[in-house]
Amino acid sequence: MPLPALARRADERVIAGVCAGIAQTLAVDVTLVRLVFTLLALAGGAGILLYLALWAYSDSRAALLVALLVVGAGVVLLHAVGLSNRSVAAIVLIAAGLALAWRRGGFRADAPLSWIGLVIAACGTVVLFEGGRPGGSLLAPGAVAGALLLIAGPWLWRLALDRDAERSARIRSEERSEVAARVHDSVLQTLALIQRHAGEPRRVASIARRQERELRGWLYGDRPLGDETASLLAALSTAAADVEELHGVRVELASAGDCPVDGSARALVLAAREAMTNAAKFAGVEEIDVYLEVAEDSVSVFVRDRGAGFKRKSVPVGRRGLTESIEGRMERVGGRATVTSAPGKGTEVELRLPRSAS
Amino acid sequence: MKPRVVLVDDHALFLAGVRAELGDAVEIVGEAGSVAEAVPLIKGLDPDVVLLDVHLPDGSGDAIINAVAPERPGVRFLALSVSDAAEDVIAVIRAGARGYVTKTISGDELAAAIARVASGDAVFSPRLAGFVLDAFRAGEPLGGDAELDELTPREREVLQLIARGYMYKEIAARLHLSVKTVESHVSSVLRKLQLSTRHELTRWATQHRLV
Repeated sequence: MPLPALARRADERVIAGVCAGIAQTLAVDVTLVRLVFTLLALAGGAGILLYLALWAYSDSRAALLVALLVVGAGVVLLHAVGLSNRSVAAIVLIAAGLALAWRRGGFRADAPLSWIGLVIAACGTVVLFEGGRPGGSLLAPGAVAGALLLIAGPWLWRLALDRDAERSARIRSEERSEVAARVHDSVLQTLALIQRHAGEPRRVASIARRQERELRGWLYGDRPLGDETASLLAALSTAAADVEELHGVRVELASAGDCPVDGSARALVLAAREAMTNAAKFAGVEEIDVYLEVAEDSVSVFVRDRGAGFKRKSVPVGRRGLTESIEGRMERVGGRATVTSAPGKGTEVELRLPRSAS
Repeated sequence: MKPRVVLVDDHALFLAGVRAELGDAVEIVGEAGSVAEAVPLIKGLDPDVVLLDVHLPDGSGDAIINAVAPERPGVRFLALSVSDAAEDVIAVIRAGARGYVTKTISGDELAAAIARVASGDAVFSPRLAGFVLDAFRAGEPLGGDAELDELTPREREVLQLIARGYMYKEIAARLHLSVKTVESHVSSVLRKLQLSTRHELTRWATQHRLV
């Protein structure tokens, strides 16, 4: 516990400028400080001794002289208040003991001087109990409690602070190692992969995109990649990530609302995935827009690209993707797939599932 | 005339990328990497558009908007972020940004978005459109101004098409409207987004002390 500096103010002095210095240090009105000292001076001259002590403190910091003067001031003051010699001696003992125990900023269980101080303070307490009646008996219980509080309080307080600091340090280091592990497993691995495939832009783009998606899900929690049975959006998001990775396209997924995934919603996700795959394979574009809308009576997914487009009739019969994996699948669960496309105008697949059926 | 643009982003690499991608489409008059740097810069330069990252080292993008907007009402803000988290979007839009796009947007689209914002229109990313539709969902209890708390059927249609990835031109063709009309629908949605007292919106606004 560093002692506050006290500079006398020669410019505002009446005697030595001690009061002005105190007023400045404590940021209080100088008149108030002077009043306190005057009142203390009336109490058997205690104020005068205290003034001298502070004067000595501000000039030389000669610890012994200051301590003696302060003790003297205390003794005079206690006498003036009307305590017996014995009580005053006891209180001086307690104060000296506490001062010793308090040296260097608080009680330390490992410093012998602190224990000696404690013993002296205890002796003082005993003396106070034994003799100083009637004044002592009034003071004693309070003095004991106060002394215990003064000694143990800061120690316990520091103990609690240390424990808090230790705990938050531990939490921080755990967090750091979790982040490190995560970054290593994902980002660093991805960077290594990118370096190895530097010559294949499409591959690099898809790796980077997947990494971005993962990291974003982790950092912002905005694309739930986790529980696919709880969230249709999460299931759709996973499907989109798969398509991105397999075909090196970007899938921009927007949504309004979300709902749990059951059997027919599962079919909806699979159909949407097929539609995204088709767009990635045949449209010749780099970006596909997917929009999920959960209304009260229905769930819709729109898969759209601005690519080549096609005419229904020109699709080879062998291609089962559209009729089977999208339209057939939706019809089997009571839904509907609508495909809007024209050559050169892109394609949009709308998948709609009534919610009463889901 | 090319819009005069200030870029605010703390990632030098990203700034360089944006500068290269925008090329000649806009005139970049200044760059800043923090709230403290950006506020005096924007006030001094008085640009047409500020392209603004939502997260900055010493605060969030809406702090810049709040500090600049009262003195420079002509400056328009377009938020640009890697985060699509609803609270980020809502905070910056409620603070007065005229649009929100994500950092994955292509250079051409970004230039178009800047031009649109410069001319006083609004720009919504598909995800923002989806979110707005969600927040303004019919059937929720209303409080306050009913006109501000509901989207018209037409506005819903427009937003849904934006969410599905349609551009304004495509929306106009599909709904048999002029592009100008589509723009005014989106601007009106933006106004509602900024002023509505709907629960979903005010919750985020309250959390960010924007009310």
